[in-house]
Amino acid sequence: MDDLRGIERAIEMQETKIAAKGVDVFYGDTHAIKDVNVEIAEKTVTAFIGPSGCGKSTFLRCLNRMNDTIDVARVSGSIMLDGEDIYDPKVDPVQLRAKVGMVFQKPNPFPKSIYDNIAYGPRIHGLASGKAELDEIVEKSLRRGAIWEEVKDRLDQPGTGLSGGQQQRLCIARAIATEPEVLLMDEPCSALDPIATAQVEELIDELRQNYSVVIVTHSMQQAARVSQKTAFFHLGDLVEFGETATIFTNPVDSRTESYITGRIG
Amino acid sequence: MNELHIASAFDRDLEAIQAILMKMGGMVETAILDSAKSLETRDVELAEQVRKKDKAIDALEEQVNEEAARLIALRAPTAGDLRTVLTVIKISANLERCGDYAKNLAKRTSVLAQTTSVEGTSTSIRRMSREVQMMLKDALDAYIQRDADLAEQIIQRDEDVDQMYTALFRELLTHMMEDPRNITPCMHLHFIAKNIERMGDHVTSVAEQVVYLVTGQMPDDARPKQDRTPFMTEEG
Repeated sequence: MDDLRGIERAIEMQETKIAAKGVDVFYGDTHAIKDVNVEIAEKTVTAFIGPSGCGKSTFLRCLNRMNDTIDVARVSGSIMLDGEDIYDPKVDPVQLRAKVGMVFQKPNPFPKSIYDNIAYGPRIHGLASGKAELDEIVEKSLRRGAIWEEVKDRLDQPGTGLSGGQQQRLCIARAIATEPEVLLMDEPCSALDPIATAQVEELIDELRQNYSVVIVTHSMQQAARVSQKTAFFHLGDLVEFGETATIFTNPVDSRTESYITGRIG
Repeated sequence: MNELHIASAFDRDLEAIQAILMKMGGMVETAILDSAKSLETRDVELAEQVRKKDKAIDALEEQVNEEAARLIALRAPTAGDLRTVLTVIKISANLERCGDYAKNLAKRTSVLAQTTSVEGTSTSIRRMSREVQMMLKDALDAYIQRDADLAEQIIQRDEDVDQMYTALFRELLTHMMEDPRNITPCMHLHFIAKNIERMGDHVTSVAEQVVYLVTGQMPDDARPKQDRTPFMTEEG
């Protein structure tokens, strides 16, 4: 029990990494996100849960300006990363996305070798000065992605030849190769079997040492297992945000309770 | 929150386990009343029935535990559902203990039926057990109604039981000092009174579980302690 309390205290002490204030998102006339205020803490796993269409993925995509790529999407309000507005015209979205990495629902390795999948980001961002340094980044990323042992003897083979779970860990390794500060994960385990899911969850817990992780998941049990903070979205509103243990034992809002206990709400 | 689960089998499981608990509660209420009645009327046969029926109460507790384990494993309950399962387990343990105390009361009745009666005490004991049984009935009602206010009142009422016990303790002490032949029955009666007082504590614990079930918080331990017997001497 003492250990648990220690962890909780540590979370309390973490500083805010991303602060979203009064965020609204519209897709054309559809009001997808309604005045959301949330603070994502440093070195913490934050889970976004909620029924389909509640806006959790939309909000996640605001955090590294992925919604810029959708013509009809309009974002207002402020999202500050380390105190800087990421929607400031001076901010280069490409640089931003190197800092705020993303992993998607379906593993999407590039149709290249395992090595090049990882090396691609560091190369275009000029993070390595030579082959030796690049090799080092590739190995380090694959190790952190908990997949090095499985692929170290076949780095020249295509990434698409790996199993689903391995591909997803490869994509996570690729996302952390550019040394991001925040990692966004949109349903990273929904295409994986329970073993691969457990490996990715273990990886998420390790990543927490260095990164802020924000994970969107439909699996409430996954949110309960991996996160320290949970945000519940419903119809575009952020209904409740708090300690994961509190959300799952004694939520404040009746809508949260209805959703997490599997009731019609 | 009275909405139904999307998985209706989950609702059926939760209802089933609570139904077992209520059945158990009803049997314990009967055991308390019957054991006290058997003592007052020196009805050895009724006492024997109470002793036999305790096995059924124990079996129900086993059943509650098995169902709870199954529900946790298969349904992974959260929030209010989780609190329901946790409180069902704890309350069933409280009820089982009450059943044991009633059984013990019945056992002592068989012995007491062969000794001289001590004036007035079995009526006091009956009144005390009646109060505990009423508290238990209300606690089970509070559980079903999810009524935390009622549960809080029950917690306060344990004070009355403690006071009755203290009064009985004095009474028994007086009887023993008056006539040493009273010592054997009074010792038994004292254990009986103490056991009923303990039942009151278990019922209080049931009421506390109701508060936890409804609010997610255990009630503050502000209950006044009225059992002064640990500090009492012959001079009282």
